[in-house]
Amino acid sequence: MARFGRRQRILIIVLISFSLIALGAVFFPISMPHFQLAPEKPWHDLPITNTMIAAWLTIIVIGILSYFATRKMKLVPRGLQNIMEVVLEALIGFVESIAGKDNGRKFFPIVATIFIFVIANAWLALFPGFMSIGIWETEIVHGVEETVLVPFFRGANTDVNFPLALALVSFIFVEFWGFKAHGFTSYMGKFINFRQYFGGWGKLLRGQVGSGMGMLFTGIIDIFVGFVELLSELIRIVSFTFRLFGNMTAGEILVFSMMFLIPWVAAVPFMGLELFIGFVQALIFCGLTVVFLVMAVAPHEEH
Amino acid sequence: MGAIGIDWQVLLAQFVNFAILFGLLSVLLYKPMRRMLDERSNKIKESMEQAEQIKEQMTKSEEQVKLQLDTARREGQDILAQAAQMGERLKEEAKGEARQEAEVIVARARTEIERERDQAIDEVKREFVDLAITAAEKVVNESLDREKHRRLIEEVLEQAPKREG
Repeated sequence: MARFGRRQRILIIVLISFSLIALGAVFFPISMPHFQLAPEKPWHDLPITNTMIAAWLTIIVIGILSYFATRKMKLVPRGLQNIMEVVLEALIGFVESIAGKDNGRKFFPIVATIFIFVIANAWLALFPGFMSIGIWETEIVHGVEETVLVPFFRGANTDVNFPLALALVSFIFVEFWGFKAHGFTSYMGKFINFRQYFGGWGKLLRGQVGSGMGMLFTGIIDIFVGFVELLSELIRIVSFTFRLFGNMTAGEILVFSMMFLIPWVAAVPFMGLELFIGFVQALIFCGLTVVFLVMAVAPHEEH
Repeated sequence: MGAIGIDWQVLLAQFVNFAILFGLLSVLLYKPMRRMLDERSNKIKESMEQAEQIKEQMTKSEEQVKLQLDTARREGQDILAQAAQMGERLKEEAKGEARQEAEVIVARARTEIERERDQAIDEVKREFVDLAITAAEKVVNESLDREKHRRLIEEVLEQAPKREG
């Protein structure tokens, strides 16, 4: 290899890649992938979807990594411990930069788990074997009987149930800490605020028509604002869910479509893109969760 | 909802998965890592404080050493001065003693010499007397009493130095 310069070597790699594409396209065509949004069950009699299997795989991989990273902890970190410490310290820094020192410490475990789960799911889904090992089954697609591959592994992020579960976890923790920071009635007052409304009616009944009408008007606005707050809180779940689900599903479809259109190596750049998107989505999910947590525990202005 | 696949069973399963991962990570990663990070930051803080302390101690001990050196130098100089003084004194004393001794010796020698001179003079005198007697005897021909004669001469001799001196 020493005979070739750097430029020539790159040229050779590109040439080999193109010939592989040509060869692959001619001799080993990749069958058209069939996409289904709903997760499939490789075994019909078991209530286990391929996305659940992928999630378990992710848990196992992360578990093993964490176990070996913290098995023999040293004050001067080396190897895996060092890598995991870098990741965790970056996460701690990220969370604490948004939420502050004390709140950051409190929020960290849940937020970090969301980040790690999402990014590990996304990256693991790029490994070979995902979407390609499975059982051939005959299915009726668009009224035509076809044999399709039901894979054993499919990225958990591409199953709407997983982002939804994460969104619900995020929602539950946001509300939990909201209640904990403000107390039940105070936190609920953010959403259901009838104080001004009833006060206005009270003034009206006592005959103070002018100020009573004013209070009644602001009361109605308060009720409306509370309703909007409640709605936005619930809409967050939906936006959380479909942001992650949409991005990851689109990425998967993109990679496998590219593989089908131009076999073999053409999908590589898109896989690189998927690595980046997996990271970004994980960061967005955990970052937004932190922001909502901070908003929930922040003292809201009293009227 | 069926088309995108929301399924409460799967949803529940993913919830459980999240809970499992949360527990796993809390036990395996977050707690030990937190402990380790805290320990490390504490250690760094401690060692920095220690370094500061050691620095302080060093400057203090350096000052002490300097002080000790100064006192030692001063003491040494004092001792040297004292020694020089003492040497001077000793020299003086020795000189004095030697002079005294020399004087004593000289005095003694002088007395000795005087004594010996006196003795010699006496002896010379006696011999001279004897000589004179014999000479006189020969001259007078033993006319005179020997004893009487002797007395006579001695009288003369007694008077002689008085006349001289």
